[in-house]
Amino acid sequence: MRILEESLTLLKKSLNMTRRNFLKTTAAGSALAGLVSTKDAKAFAYEPYPRDDELTTVVTSCEHNCGSRHMLVAHKKGDVIVRLSTDDGRYQKDGFFGKDTEEEPQVRGCLRGRSYRARLYSQERLLYPMIRVGARGEGKFKRASWDEALGLIADKMMYIKYNYGPTAILDQSYAGASWAAFHKSDQISGLVARFLGIFGCRTVSWSVPSYQGTVFSSTMTYGDTMDGNEDDAFAYAKLIIMWGWNPAYTFHGGNTFYYMRLAKQRGCKFVVIDPQYTDSAATYDAWWIPVRPNTDAAMMAGMAYHIFVNNWQDQYFINRFVQGMDQGTMPIWGRGGESFKDYIMGFSDSVPKTPEWASQICGVSVADIKKLAEMYALTKPAAMKASWAPGRNAWGEQYSRMAIALQAMTGNIGKLGGSSEGIGKGWHVEGSAVPADRWSAGEYAAGIKSDRWAHCVLNYPNVKREEVGLWPKQDGSDGTIPNIRSIFWQGSNWFNQLTNINKEIAAIKKLDLVVCMDATITPSGLFADVCLPSATHFERHDVGLPWYKGHYYIHRPKVIEPMGESKTDWQIFTELAYRLGYGPVFNPKANRDYFFYNDAVDEAYLSEWWHTKVIPHHSHDGLTMPWEEFKQRGVFKFVLPRPHVAYQDNVEKGVPWSTPSGKIEILSTTLAQTPDFRKTQYGYFIPAIPKWLEPFEWLGHPKAMKYPFHMITPHPRWRTHTIFNNIPWLRETYEQEITIHTEDAKKKGIKNGDTVEAWNDRGKIVLPAYVTERCMPGVVVVHEGVWMDPDENGVDRAGNPDFLTLDEPSASGAFAYNTILVDFKKSDLEHRPGWDKLATARSHVFRRSST
Amino acid sequence: MADTAATNTKDLSKIKEAIKRRKRETYTPVVPDSQLGFVHHNIDCIGCRACEIACKDKNGLPPGPRFRRVMYIEGGKFPEVFAYKVNMSCNHCAEPACLPTCPTGAIWKRKDNGVVDIDSTLCIGCRRCEAACPFGAPQFDPSDGLVKKCNMCIDELEAGRKPYCVMACMMRVLDIGPIDKIRAGTYETKAMGPGETTVRAIKNMANPELTNPSIAFVAHPKGKLGA
Repeated sequence: MRILEESLTLLKKSLNMTRRNFLKTTAAGSALAGLVSTKDAKAFAYEPYPRDDELTTVVTSCEHNCGSRHMLVAHKKGDVIVRLSTDDGRYQKDGFFGKDTEEEPQVRGCLRGRSYRARLYSQERLLYPMIRVGARGEGKFKRASWDEALGLIADKMMYIKYNYGPTAILDQSYAGASWAAFHKSDQISGLVARFLGIFGCRTVSWSVPSYQGTVFSSTMTYGDTMDGNEDDAFAYAKLIIMWGWNPAYTFHGGNTFYYMRLAKQRGCKFVVIDPQYTDSAATYDAWWIPVRPNTDAAMMAGMAYHIFVNNWQDQYFINRFVQGMDQGTMPIWGRGGESFKDYIMGFSDSVPKTPEWASQICGVSVADIKKLAEMYALTKPAAMKASWAPGRNAWGEQYSRMAIALQAMTGNIGKLGGSSEGIGKGWHVEGSAVPADRWSAGEYAAGIKSDRWAHCVLNYPNVKREEVGLWPKQDGSDGTIPNIRSIFWQGSNWFNQLTNINKEIAAIKKLDLVVCMDATITPSGLFADVCLPSATHFERHDVGLPWYKGHYYIHRPKVIEPMGESKTDWQIFTELAYRLGYGPVFNPKANRDYFFYNDAVDEAYLSEWWHTKVIPHHSHDGLTMPWEEFKQRGVFKFVLPRPHVAYQDNVEKGVPWSTPSGKIEILSTTLAQTPDFRKTQYGYFIPAIPKWLEPFEWLGHPKAMKYPFHMITPHPRWRTHTIFNNIPWLRETYEQEITIHTEDAKKKGIKNGDTVEAWNDRGKIVLPAYVTERCMPGVVVVHEGVWMDPDENGVDRAGNPDFLTLDEPSASGAFAYNTILVDFKKSDLEHRPGWDKLATARSHVFRRSST
Repeated sequence: MADTAATNTKDLSKIKEAIKRRKRETYTPVVPDSQLGFVHHNIDCIGCRACEIACKDKNGLPPGPRFRRVMYIEGGKFPEVFAYKVNMSCNHCAEPACLPTCPTGAIWKRKDNGVVDIDSTLCIGCRRCEAACPFGAPQFDPSDGLVKKCNMCIDELEAGRKPYCVMACMMRVLDIGPIDKIRAGTYETKAMGPGETTVRAIKNMANPELTNPSIAFVAHPKGKLGA
């Protein structure tokens, strides 16, 4: 008890929760203390100040869906985390303080990971089950017992399934709660998928907001999505083209940005193609080419033309490995049809995609298009990191497919220092400790494009399958439009994140049950009927995995006991499954007392996974670490025999790609042979070769007469999407703002820091202006993920750009997050930044026990 | 940010004289056995502020005081623009301006490593040091009315490690070391790339003659004095 009290005092001090009420009296002579002796000096920001070596050290990791995974080291006293540090080389096998080699670099946490203690102990932490008492979205809740909350959910689930059938519950899980081996909340195969799949009532949201364009593109072109080189391979490039890529903000990969620094020191040249002069452009001293948003595919076509007319393409590579690049590589079934070169040269449509043609569309000068084409074609090896952001547009997959065409025609695929991106998933660790049975990935009765749910709900049953991107089924249920009556959010603030939020707000009012499981009270949670407090990754046992590339595993022990009444996602679902009658199927290793005692069962799943999957997975490379040693060290880092390069074996050993032809399909067999796109999940026609297609909004569109500015909505540095939006340490370093070019601002009489309203037919947002020369004229930038705070007129005072986006994804499912025309002006409306008022405002809502 | 110290039209030699006289009249700074200082790469820094957040967490600071500040500098005209970062906490100056202003003797300079330290138990929150420092290092904490500042993580130094900010740097562009060796280019550090050299001062920074700050920068071409 005494230890607990001490710990709490320490927590308050270390978070600076208490006011100090002194000037402490000091011993005689202490004014000279510094000059004589430092022994008694109180030199710290608070006292008593525990030094790291007086605290218990626990290695763990961050956990979110950001693209990286880094080590966090908790220094705790009793059950309280006093501070976090990160990898310093000490914890790995044969490690020592400061060890940081190119082969085994430290995996140091970013600013978001370093702020985790503030999130763990935040005022917005959800600590008890809550049941809605006001209107949906009004934000009035009462505290409930677990029994009451889970009982209510179970009863309503039975009612919904019985009355509305197997499609009535929409799975909107996402990786906000967990990116790990065991406590998973991934979009497609998270725990809620398993939970609803066994229950037999689930509609899946199949398109991934961040990168569906590349998933489609790589699947069609390579036959899989494993197209990323490991981040250390970047150090071997002579030229790196960062197409819409800003690793200075997103930190993709554990050390990608650092390996690129090494590349720079070794003479690599950098190019950034982006509407903004990003921090990445500055850091890597890149040649900045500002491009009109959504016109990247046109610019790439212009580059391809210039490469073809100068005969700079790697014809040997094309002839051996590519289908449909030119007439010589057309398949028998496609002879005489349109090849990529036919399209580029204008043989098929009489429009040669010359640099002049491209320049008219993308706004980049003819000379620059030619110069970049020449650089890229003649510098070997050259990596083109064609990132996801430009693919989040109305024809996103065309950009991604065009990027692969360029990488293929220059022969950079499968080569060290080259690239084949793509989605960029690199070498993969073994990633799932979830029971490997038929339910592991969940089952579903219907699947729709993720941001078409509101359209589906508002128009049911008068919805055509292509409007929602209905996934084809072979079980006799094909074509059934889901009758969605309920949403499950697990670690997901999707309501804040999908497109066209005003339409979502209209749709959610029609539902019968909305459940939100999270560690934090989010804007989505305010629209739920029941909020369930999930334990964070500091409060349960798991293993952290690199997000999409990286060669290490990080152990995540239970660092502290779950706060408040929070329970792990596994505990919540298991108990709900017991109430619904399938507990043992859902969690085969557990009994019903798992809701109170989960440690031994979780350990059993994880150690079994380590022994039966991880160790065999790595044994062929001679890499191993016993489970007990892994737990003791906290990290298993390993050096691969060679830097991993995607498709190296295909190029060097002739291994066929997983496409129908076994080649890189610039002409897609699947697309060319699809008779009726309406019967596919895409719903609408997609050309079999990459093309530039006009999006529904862009600066060259007639709509630009009314809304003359193109808004893009990149990922911020200071949040992982919406996560960490409430962290004061982060909030004081930035503002949610609209980036405007100096001349555009001047025309509207806007100065730096002025409050601006930006609007289109979908909505309006209010936020301060950042006026700069670093953004191209005609383009404005608003970072996604800020917690919405709409007023009574539906005007978002927090500045969430998804009030302006359109829920009209591309045929492939790519979200059109960056296809937005707007206008803006100086505003008298008040911007509500939220963070300084959040502590009182939101906790007030949740402490109220009305009715 | 008007005139830089370097382009100031005032008679520099006179100012130097005045500074010397003032120092003579006030105090003789401690000369450390070895002065530790920071080195920061202005170009290769991505500006992520992991160092800042690590510092906030270690020192348990509320919003407001920022011991370490990553400053973003940008300029030029579209499309010929540039940007770089300047990262500063306390520069642990050889002749700290804060020290003699402190009426309670809370600030002192360590003899062994030259760290300028503040004993917050002696601080009365008069904020004189805050005004005296030309680099904005002392930070007022409104939650308890005291001034606090970077102590170069003295606890970590004593444990044989480096400060949290340095160990947080994802790009390895921030480091500490004996400042004379850093300046001479003889200190092995990842903060400097092959063949790169450091400068004592950059554009728009207070004149280093004022306090002789223990910091060195790999400067951006546009950030160099006279650029």
